Amino acid sequence: MTESAVVKTINAVKSAFRGYYFKPDMVEAPDKMEQREFGYMQFGQPGMVRHLSFKSMKELTATIMKEVPSDIYCSNAYYRFPTYPMQEKQWLGADLIFDIDGKDLHLPCVPSHSYPICTNCGHASAPVPDEKRKEEHYSCPACGGKKADDISIPCAKCIEGSKREVKRLVEFLTGDLGMQRSDIHIYFSGNNGFHIHVSDEAYIPLDPQARSDLVGYLSGSGLMAESIGVRKGNAENLFFIKFPKSGLAYGWRGRVANKLKIDGSSMIKLKHIVEQKGGYAAFKADLDRMTRDIGVRIDPQVTTDVHRVFRMSGTLNSKSGLAKIKCGDNIDSFDPFVDACLLGDGKLSVKVKTQVKLKLKNKSFNISKESAELPAYAAIYLICKRLAEAS
Amino acid sequence: MSIRIGPKDWADDPLQNEDLAKYPFLNDVSEYIRQTHFDFEEYNRPEFKDIIETAIERIETEASGRLYEKLDRFQREVFIFLATLIIVKSIGIESVLRKYSLFEAMRAEKFLTEDLKRERNEQKRRLLLFKIFKELFNVDIDIDADDERLFKVKITDYLKRASHFHEQEWKLINRMVNKGYVYLDADETVRLFRNELGALVYDKVKMMQLLTLPEALKTKIEELRTKMTHRYEYRATAVTDYPPCVKHALEVMGRGENLPHSARVMLATYMLAIGKPVDEIVMMYENAPDFNEKITRYQVEHLAGMKGSRTKYSVPSCDKLRNENLCFATAECDGIINPIQFGRKMRK
Repeated sequence: MTESAVVKTINAVKSAFRGYYFKPDMVEAPDKMEQREFGYMQFGQPGMVRHLSFKSMKELTATIMKEVPSDIYCSNAYYRFPTYPMQEKQWLGADLIFDIDGKDLHLPCVPSHSYPICTNCGHASAPVPDEKRKEEHYSCPACGGKKADDISIPCAKCIEGSKREVKRLVEFLTGDLGMQRSDIHIYFSGNNGFHIHVSDEAYIPLDPQARSDLVGYLSGSGLMAESIGVRKGNAENLFFIKFPKSGLAYGWRGRVANKLKIDGSSMIKLKHIVEQKGGYAAFKADLDRMTRDIGVRIDPQVTTDVHRVFRMSGTLNSKSGLAKIKCGDNIDSFDPFVDACLLGDGKLSVKVKTQVKLKLKNKSFNISKESAELPAYAAIYLICKRLAEAS
Repeated sequence: MSIRIGPKDWADDPLQNEDLAKYPFLNDVSEYIRQTHFDFEEYNRPEFKDIIETAIERIETEASGRLYEKLDRFQREVFIFLATLIIVKSIGIESVLRKYSLFEAMRAEKFLTEDLKRERNEQKRRLLLFKIFKELFNVDIDIDADDERLFKVKITDYLKRASHFHEQEWKLINRMVNKGYVYLDADETVRLFRNELGALVYDKVKMMQLLTLPEALKTKIEELRTKMTHRYEYRATAVTDYPPCVKHALEVMGRGENLPHSARVMLATYMLAIGKPVDEIVMMYENAPDFNEKITRYQVEHLAGMKGSRTKYSVPSCDKLRNENLCFATAECDGIINPIQFGRKMRK
């Protein structure tokens, strides 16, 4: 892209973002905002402007209108001095948050809508089927560059996959963890996943280690065979059965017991199961697979990092131009390509880099020509995905 | 006399003095001493001679890393405990205070576990839970309605404590969890609070203000201090050549403070890597409040690849140490990726 095309493209996106933020009350006010750290990214500039503090939404909105950032973040942590350097901020606690990202689910549909974009020249190519991708190494048809970013235009299946994880997470949180459903707030991330914010105050003081333990629980990692009654014997692969005192009724023990169709009295049955698997080690490996399968795929970094700045609700995501937005009570009826697609529909001319298909605001676009005139929301979406530039 | 404690509706069946003798750090015991108008000078009375001897025996046992299990009558026990606080405070050796605190906690842990397991009177069990966990640590612990051997702890209260334990069985996933609670047996419930019980005793000593010491204690304290200075006082190790992370670990250890497990591993692997003999390395840990020579030796030998899996462990990288908050880099650390390189660089 020539320099003037870059400037033109940035201006087009900035102008659309400005139009969005110009409407009143688009950004959701966080609780106790004076104790939070804010940060934002600017179009065309690397790095984040961080360690900011705003006393009111009015003050924040004024900065947003002035800077028109590409992405706006706010800490999940509370600090005594949010603007000080990290070591001096005096951490007071942090909301419990979760990130479910479609790309971590490794769904089979992904290769069919992932566009390789050359990291050197920005050339976009058509999606490559999975088998072919494994055989061939990437080589840019324009510059011969060997590295590419895979840019995905999530499909309905991707969103369904993420929703499934969200529902499982909510089940864990309200069931095992006993949280009130009204304390769990689900947001579309603005691109390809969901953010879950928990407003249960009991979790605010937890340190990274405690959060990491919680992540282990939710994602099903580290369940010992002993926890469900299979104990290691003295010699290699020997074992014996002794059920834990507190039984197998609930939590992970209950989940595994259900799956294996056993209860606290099925000693002989469990012994047979372990023998059939091939002894202690084989059973343990099988158990690991099973628990990972039942567990929720959450990003461990996001939940354990208590100093993170996290995308603010109601702001636009520069990876898509869609908004991070609260989903209603019924996540099933939430359609991010309609409900989070909030930019205007004035026409914008773009140069599209490769043939591309997408569906936004219930309208399907199948663009095969290089130049196209599209509604702003679709044009900005393609630009943000690096599949088009302003013309 | 029995002390009436607890919420009004439990007052019909209060804890008796013999119950309280096991937990002399409870607020009610301090209140009892206050009500008796006890004066420290009373330790000079002949009938207190035996109490002082017992207090010294208890401190010596605990400072050497053993549990003191003898339990006296309430009226004696409270003054023995008070004497131990005064003596440990006056000796003023940090590593003695830390060991004493840890073993006082473990002593209470033993009694409490027994009480929670054996006590048949449910009201009494509830009152104990309330007195220890709610009043001292502001944590609600309840008895499970279906199985009275089990106790319910809120998940967040559990995580705050157990996530700092290293054993896999303490990970939340290996626990019985339901509707916001973790279910634990008596041993586990009490173990969960060991560090806090220790800190409580530690703070009691730290906060104590001693103006004058009764004569009867003075001589005893002097004798004990002389004996213990030799054994437990921080022996400065020449640390000039060590990288700052290792120096820091040695200093913490020297002060008799508790060093995290990961830092202990770093220290041992570093010392092994520079060729220190196992015996010398083991003795570096002797100021640790929970020092046990046999266990430490096994662990060091394990890291050296002499025991267990026969794998020789390498020194953790600077990256790993940074992640674990064990890095205290100085300008001299520039350009190294493992603490072991620091030594080599400096020797050049």
